[in-house]
Amino acid sequence: MMTKVKGERLKMKGLLGWFVLSIFIFQFSVCKAQSNITYTLRVGAADEVALLNDFPEVYAGEKVNIKVESLALRVECLDSLDFVFAKEGTEALRAWGDSVYSFTNEASGEWTLWRNHKEIKNRAQRVLVQNAYGTFEQYVREQTVVESHVVAWLGWILAGLLLAAGIVYAIVTVVRRRAERELPAVEQETLRRRRMGNRRHYGSQLYLWLLLLVLYAPIALIAVFSFTESKVLGNWTGFSMHLYGNLFTGNAGAGLNSAIIYTVVIALIAAVCSTILGTLAAIGIYNMRARQRQMVSFLNSVPMINPDIITGISLFLLFVALGVSQGLATVCIAHVVFCTPYVVLSVLPRLSRMNPNTYEAALDLGATPAQALRMVMLPELWPGMLSGFVLALTLSVDDFGVTFFTKGSGGLETLSTFIYSDARKGGLTPELRPLFTIILLVMLTVLVVINIRASREKKD
Amino acid sequence: MSKILQIASSRRAWAWPYVLFMLLFVVLPLILVGYYALTDINGTFTLHNFAKFFTHSEAISTFLYSVMIAVLNTLICLLLGYPAAYIMAMADFKTPKVMAMLFILPMWINFLLRTVATVELFNMLGLPLGEGALLFGLCYDYLPFMIYPIYNTLQKMDTSLIEAAQDLGANRRTCFWKVVVPLSMPGVYSGIVMVFMPTVSTFAIAELLTHNNIKLFGSLIQDYITTTDLLNYGAVLSLVLLVIIGLTSFFGDHDSAGGEKGGLV
Repeated sequence: MMTKVKGERLKMKGLLGWFVLSIFIFQFSVCKAQSNITYTLRVGAADEVALLNDFPEVYAGEKVNIKVESLALRVECLDSLDFVFAKEGTEALRAWGDSVYSFTNEASGEWTLWRNHKEIKNRAQRVLVQNAYGTFEQYVREQTVVESHVVAWLGWILAGLLLAAGIVYAIVTVVRRRAERELPAVEQETLRRRRMGNRRHYGSQLYLWLLLLVLYAPIALIAVFSFTESKVLGNWTGFSMHLYGNLFTGNAGAGLNSAIIYTVVIALIAAVCSTILGTLAAIGIYNMRARQRQMVSFLNSVPMINPDIITGISLFLLFVALGVSQGLATVCIAHVVFCTPYVVLSVLPRLSRMNPNTYEAALDLGATPAQALRMVMLPELWPGMLSGFVLALTLSVDDFGVTFFTKGSGGLETLSTFIYSDARKGGLTPELRPLFTIILLVMLTVLVVINIRASREKKD
Repeated sequence: MSKILQIASSRRAWAWPYVLFMLLFVVLPLILVGYYALTDINGTFTLHNFAKFFTHSEAISTFLYSVMIAVLNTLICLLLGYPAAYIMAMADFKTPKVMAMLFILPMWINFLLRTVATVELFNMLGLPLGEGALLFGLCYDYLPFMIYPIYNTLQKMDTSLIEAAQDLGANRRTCFWKVVVPLSMPGVYSGIVMVFMPTVSTFAIAELLTHNNIKLFGSLIQDYITTTDLLNYGAVLSLVLLVIIGLTSFFGDHDSAGGEKGGLV
């Protein structure tokens, strides 16, 4: 009976959520369909440029085309706004902030200048375009709608489908309930008898492999291009182990080297601290009374539910409020915050599996609490602690959001934040490719070994 | 001294350092978000920042857009991930665990690096970067979070229930919709929560995947919170995100911790 009531409530909740969702999507689609204007700026040949001296207003997120015709060109960004320059169809110069670019190539065709920054509405963008004829400022030529309405369209269709499905489902359920009530019980037993076939499903296995193929395509790209010297991913310049050599001889650049060291140091500190803290906490929680236990468990689940950005921002605000200067220590604390709950969760099952009386027995037999902990508890708990430790390590290494907000501005970078700033500057440090190929291989081996071991243990 | 030892030997007390730590570094910071949202730069109480949010069309539209993207991404992940989890759980692979592992493994590559690789892949294939790339990249990053909990519940499911349904005359479709799907709902719920929450709060991915052309709510918060004089407004935006997270956990509140991060280890 209980389960039925629970099921009904779940269904109601689901239906409610469903309707809220479809109304929301509909609302959104209307909103989105109206807000899709992109401006295009074009800078023509020198004489053309000279004629256009009106100062444009540029809006966030727009696409700006600079047309360059067979002239050497120098573009200087005078405002510290973010820029990306790309030639139509190619990967080109990308940059952020106050930078100067020189295009001395064939330079015909359209260059696209992308930019996006907060609070620039109604603010003019000053770009100096310099060529053989002189220096010019930036010009509006035409306005075009470039962005697609893909999401708006998907939204319309989705909202319609969802609403229709929800309504149909509700009606069908009501009608069915009424009909069922009138039917005798026997009638409800008239179900068609069809047996499930036992064939192998090659089609469905193909689906899995296709999905894996797509999932691994970008990773494979990294791995493959770790064996070439090219600075740009996707440009094969012949087989070479040069990047691996650079990585191991420390020639990869000071930024990457220190990022690797910091990542390892932070991960180790965070994992050790959270394993100790988490194990003690798990023992404490296990011995608590139900109410207390519930409260602490809830507290424990908060950092796991919180998205990275919230954990990061709230800690950032704490450190700002306390006036603490952010750096290695704050990053470590932040990592312990989001790692420890996982350690607690991996140690708790071990505790419930172990005989609760052995610890007391050890105390009764004259062991000090420390001895009892070391000689009785730890041997039982260490598998849980180990998996908690490994989990903490991987979580810490993989973290970006929390680190980003707590690392301060003192130049501390972990691998994640290093990749982020690198990608924003436009192009990854090539040595990252061999680094992550190695990490992938190590992970693969570790997982294979763990699984082989596990299956062997099962057999025994 | 003996009293301290006595307290230490009561094992309940061993959790107190952790509780204190969590109060200081989890609860207090969350309260601070509220505090900053309700004050201005000088620390005096004001509702101005809230008022600003409701009239700030950029924030509202970015917010709606992000939730929309998150919903779409969750649906796509569910549509792609459920069949995958179902096939893995049902098919008689020689090594089903290896298959599940293969789906989890990409999570061990830094997600930013995977995102950059996705961008390069799109460039190589000559595909435009934009909403399509954004959805692809998000789905690519979070699909394992959908597959794993569903796979877990399906695998733990009592297969005799399916056999019973078949014996009672249910055909394959009825069996799937009436037995398998309802039983896997806890996994689906936690999958939805685990995909939706990080997607709606994502930042840094969108700008890479769309050539900095699309901004999601997370990036907006990031922009404000890191600007000193706009920090309080950033706190308001964070509160808005917290409300969404709270709502999500309410709808997904079925305590099925079936798939914590990296549950394979």
